[in-house]
Amino acid sequence: MARTWSRWLPAAAVPLVVAGSVAFAAQAGADELPERTPAEILTLLADRDHQPFSGEFEQTSDLGLPQLPGGVELPDDAAGDAAAVTAVLEALTSDHSGRVFVGEQDQARLQVFETFGERDVIVNGNEVWAYDSGDNSATHTTLPADADATTAAPGQQYRPDEVADHLIDAVGPSTELTVREDVEVAGRAAYDLVLTPRTDATLVGEVAIAVDGETGQPLRVTVTARGEATPAFEIAYTSLDPTAPDADLFEFTPPAGADVEEVAPPSDQGGDASASAQHPEPSVIGTGWESVVIIDAGATGLGDEPLLAQLTTAVDGGRLLGTDLVNVLVADDGRILVGAVPLERLQAAAAE
Amino acid sequence: MPADAVAVRARTHGGALLASELRVLFRRWRTWAMLAALASIPVLMAVVVRLSSEPPGPGEGPPFLDQVTNNGMFVAVTALVVTTPLFLPLTVAVVSGDTIAGEASLGTLRYLLVAPAGRVRLLLVKYLSAVVFCLAASGTVLLVGWAIGVALFGAGEATLLSGDTIGVGDAVLRSLLVGAHVSICMLGLAAVGLFISTLTDAGVGAMAAVAVLTIVAQVLGQLDQLAWLHPWLFTHHWLAFADLLREPVVWTSFTQNALLQAAYVAFFGALAYGRFSTKDVLS
Repeated sequence: MARTWSRWLPAAAVPLVVAGSVAFAAQAGADELPERTPAEILTLLADRDHQPFSGEFEQTSDLGLPQLPGGVELPDDAAGDAAAVTAVLEALTSDHSGRVFVGEQDQARLQVFETFGERDVIVNGNEVWAYDSGDNSATHTTLPADADATTAAPGQQYRPDEVADHLIDAVGPSTELTVREDVEVAGRAAYDLVLTPRTDATLVGEVAIAVDGETGQPLRVTVTARGEATPAFEIAYTSLDPTAPDADLFEFTPPAGADVEEVAPPSDQGGDASASAQHPEPSVIGTGWESVVIIDAGATGLGDEPLLAQLTTAVDGGRLLGTDLVNVLVADDGRILVGAVPLERLQAAAAE
Repeated sequence: MPADAVAVRARTHGGALLASELRVLFRRWRTWAMLAALASIPVLMAVVVRLSSEPPGPGEGPPFLDQVTNNGMFVAVTALVVTTPLFLPLTVAVVSGDTIAGEASLGTLRYLLVAPAGRVRLLLVKYLSAVVFCLAASGTVLLVGWAIGVALFGAGEATLLSGDTIGVGDAVLRSLLVGAHVSICMLGLAAVGLFISTLTDAGVGAMAAVAVLTIVAQVLGQLDQLAWLHPWLFTHHWLAFADLLREPVVWTSFTQNALLQAAYVAFFGALAYGRFSTKDVLS
């Protein structure tokens, strides 16, 4: 049996073939893009036409926060505020994937996947439907005729292009713009526009936005904390199909047996429907990267939420929910201060 | 079975060998007992839901259970959710772990190898019979689920995870897809079982090892620290068939799973070949 070793050759070959094809798939190079300055890329972004598409996205967060156990159950009497805070915490601390469908000018559908569930937001003209398969509930809103339905609808924090547009809008003189080497995102060659704060008084190290070299669509947003090598937050399309999705996708009829709730449209534009209806208007101190948002939540007793108490640590003047990227100070007087800034700045703002 | 019968069985060729292998598999009481146990899951679920005074609400019980009162065919889907993590792989572990080791412990393996058919063909036939069992096992859950569901609740409209409503024809198609996904999931496990079965002469040991591996892989899949490993675990996409119940269907996990299982079949098939073709068969 001198040649018995050759019988093991196939077993050695299979992993090599698998490794080879995985490496080959990862290699598939991006097309060359013409050189562009940051200003030209901003123009490319701003001038892009409305384009129907469908895409899958993935969002990952590594904020240095403990991940909330999946499906945190709030006590039944939890007020809208506590629910809103948990929703935001959940969005920030756990990873998500889903799909975006964009049809005609005012048609969009967002799907956020859960293991055995899904949350949908469907915008069709002025009609906005939200559906949650977890409790088989749907909400319906009819927006005023002049509202921009696709941006007023909830769930926009999951769309890479919307997130990028918000960030670009906020870019001011406090930001340095540079372009890095081209990247490939969702199979598309893209410019990597880097936003670096000019100030040291923020926790944000840099924000990188991958912009499709052809269409100008933002494909990926990564936020890296100061001094960290890997992004603390990333939201990106993983695949993109530039053909118009099936029009039926935007026609939503709640399934039989679903709890359907009619919700009044948000009073102010661009706000999250439930949040802006119940929250006191937040005030903002400072500008640009150093902004601190102050929410007067004293009356809601949010600071006493057991969940919040678990996640925060006691500091001078209140309790701190500290992450690599964002600090949240629940002041002793009930105000909540949020900012991508060091704790000292929040404490100073609280004392003002 | 008498030794000369085994020798006759082995001397026949190709398809005939597989046919006789399948006859042996489906003539065993053990096989039918396992299929009956699998069939009892959808029956139990449907009967309990039918007899309970109020139907399960959304989010109560296993996924999709609240759907079955609208469309009985979802009994099949819920039963597949329940059986996929443990029950189904357990039966596949028994059959695939027994393939070679079972013959060795009975002392019939060497009679099988007397034939010119050769070891490679025997290995192939053994694996194919395990594959047929995988299909039979998930097919049993699916068909019994359909039958009992439609009998107790009737067929009607069903709600997908995305909130869209589909008709009966679409529901049949979707649950067929779920059944196909689950069957494909078991193919990699059957290949692992075949390899382990060539390592030992103790059938029970091989079965237990395969079952333990299934559990270990699922436990590893729960550990966040091993996130880099997760896409390579054969259990990674086992419950991903929820993606087939979205509108429109998300094919990513289905195709990724098919590729992953194919890689497992190729790798452990090759390992089984390496081991079995160099093994001294003494019994």
